[in-house]
Amino acid sequence: MGRIFMITLEGRVYSCKHCFTHLALLDDIISKSFHCGHGKAYLFDKVVNITEGEKEERMMMTGLHTVVDIFCVGCGSIVGWKYEAAHEKAQKYKEGKFILERFKVLGPDGGNYLAIQESLVGGSSDADDA
Amino acid sequence: MGGVEDDEPASKRMKLSSEELIHLSNGSTVKESIVGSSRDLMARPLQSDGGEEVVGSKGVIKKVEFVRIIAKALYSLGYRRSGAHLEEESGIPLHSSIINVFMRQVLEGDWDESVATLHNIGLTDEMTIKSASFLILEQKFFEFLNEEKVMDALKTLRTEISPLCINHSRVRELSLSIVSPSHCFTVRSPKQDTSRARSRTKLLEELQKLLPPTVMIPERRLEHLVEQALGLQRDACMFHNSLDEEISLFADHQCARDQIPSYALQILQAHTDEIWFLQFSHNGKYLASSSHDCSAIIWEVDANGISLKHKLSGHQKPVSSVSWSPDDHQLLTCGVEEVVRRWDASSGECLSVYEKAGLGMVSCGWSPDGKWIFSGVNDKSISMWELDGRELECWKGQRILKISDLEITSDGKQIISICRETAILLLDREAKVERFIEEDQTITSFSLSRDNRFLLVNLLNQEIHLWSIEDDLKLVSKYRGHKRTRFIIRSCFGGLEQAFVASGSEDSLVYIWHRGTGELIEALPGHSGAVNCVSWNPTNPHMLASASDDRTIRIWGLNNLSAKQKDTHGNGIHYSNGGT
Repeated sequence: MGRIFMITLEGRVYSCKHCFTHLALLDDIISKSFHCGHGKAYLFDKVVNITEGEKEERMMMTGLHTVVDIFCVGCGSIVGWKYEAAHEKAQKYKEGKFILERFKVLGPDGGNYLAIQESLVGGSSDADDA
Repeated sequence: MGGVEDDEPASKRMKLSSEELIHLSNGSTVKESIVGSSRDLMARPLQSDGGEEVVGSKGVIKKVEFVRIIAKALYSLGYRRSGAHLEEESGIPLHSSIINVFMRQVLEGDWDESVATLHNIGLTDEMTIKSASFLILEQKFFEFLNEEKVMDALKTLRTEISPLCINHSRVRELSLSIVSPSHCFTVRSPKQDTSRARSRTKLLEELQKLLPPTVMIPERRLEHLVEQALGLQRDACMFHNSLDEEISLFADHQCARDQIPSYALQILQAHTDEIWFLQFSHNGKYLASSSHDCSAIIWEVDANGISLKHKLSGHQKPVSSVSWSPDDHQLLTCGVEEVVRRWDASSGECLSVYEKAGLGMVSCGWSPDGKWIFSGVNDKSISMWELDGRELECWKGQRILKISDLEITSDGKQIISICRETAILLLDREAKVERFIEEDQTITSFSLSRDNRFLLVNLLNQEIHLWSIEDDLKLVSKYRGHKRTRFIIRSCFGGLEQAFVASGSEDSLVYIWHRGTGELIEALPGHSGAVNCVSWNPTNPHMLASASDDRTIRIWGLNNLSAKQKDTHGNGIHYSNGGT
């Protein structure tokens, strides 16, 4: 539908594992110590080729945050979330930054990531207290 | 102004203002006027004795200035008696008496006296006095030459003009014209009349331009103010889209909404998949559309409506854009990261295929003379070809890879391309100068105005920015309202004098803004899928076409019931299917 506007990144790229759309650069990783329902998640400074969902208040491991889910423009699958606002001062550094779930993306070497079968039910997890 | 009297020290240089005029006309003892003019003796005491009197509801128009420009207008219309009567009745002289003296001296050719008067007017700017003196003496010089009094002319040049020490090149020209009179004709700037001494009235006009406007009111000042107001009214009229409107002075100009194309007059169904691009030819007689179905279609525009002319098949990939040759005889089509094809518009035949081994084309366009074509390539370069397929040049520069609009100005001088996520490069091919439009957001597409002076830039964050690209790069306006989250949505200029901006949108509406004010005028419903591209007929301000994911093209026009139109096609909506 329509001619999708896609940015092509150069360098070591993380891409959507379903449609290979470029999502982010390895150099833009701020932290690798985040978690989500499927295992590891990385905090990125910048992510491209995504659309955003509705704002939600979510209770994370580090407190209440306002987040929007982010979806790949190529195939529409959910790839992570973006922090819109953090309610605690210590977590403010996350505002405007993105989380990509490692399970949803292909790494720069094309490597997949096997989800940890943890029983972390429901929603996202969070972590990393910088 | 009774003015600086002859026996007053010349150091008393006062800046003239109408206030002075009032005060001195207020019966102060000005016994010795320079020349007795009857107007001076009839000085009547005016009402204002402090602040200036104002007219108008906002209190910004000074009465004295107002009356003076009316008097000036009466004189220039030829109503001398009315003008004089107005001056008398209002007690507000058009010009101070010294100016009247000055003007008369110029018209009668009393050159030396006029130069002397010039010094007495009370101008503060030395340069102005010198330039005005120069003009007067130049006239004196030429009139001498006219009368064959060469020695007098020479004397004027040596003893009066040269000592002013300004405009040396002109002084040289003048001396040349003594030596070779015929040279005088070529020496004169084109603006001056061919007769050697221009008329004295023209000289007066030139002088008036030099002197401050409060001293000598500019010619046709009232007309200029009225035209300015009319111009502002016209610019503020958001729906102004037809030449028929005549602007009257009696009421503020405002068009009705019905001049904007907002009725779907035709729906064109021939593509079998999403339509991504469409564009009218330069002469407005054809429309070309390109689609995800790997084809392009040429439609013909005539009085009965729009009909399918040719279906251009051959691409193996979706066709992302088309480009009409400057003479509209040929069409380029570009497959997504594939090849560029050149077609004959009247026969529908494919004339050439342009490709590069292992690479794909992403955009295409024509040189202004139609002799070569250029194309963006997905290895970040721009290639240029002769029509027969020979590659001319390949420019490798800073460009982003895949989605990359590319335009060339109609004078062939600048190539415009998206070079970084947030920047557009304007490359001057001759001067090899690069300029950049920098944005904060990612740029998705752009389009160039017909006069090459403006660029409409579509951004990721659902804003359309209008940039002036002529001299300095300047952001002029922003347009908002449409929706864009995933696709390339295109916008365009259009309407009478390109006074409107139209855009597609992901919410299936066609958006139209007034370019000058940025106001959203219309959001037209009708399509059942994202509207990817719009094109406004360059020769018909009442015809707008839109291309959508719903596989149709909609042609928008004026309501049938409106009287004089060029593009009504019967009642209701026409559905046109492709083929016979």
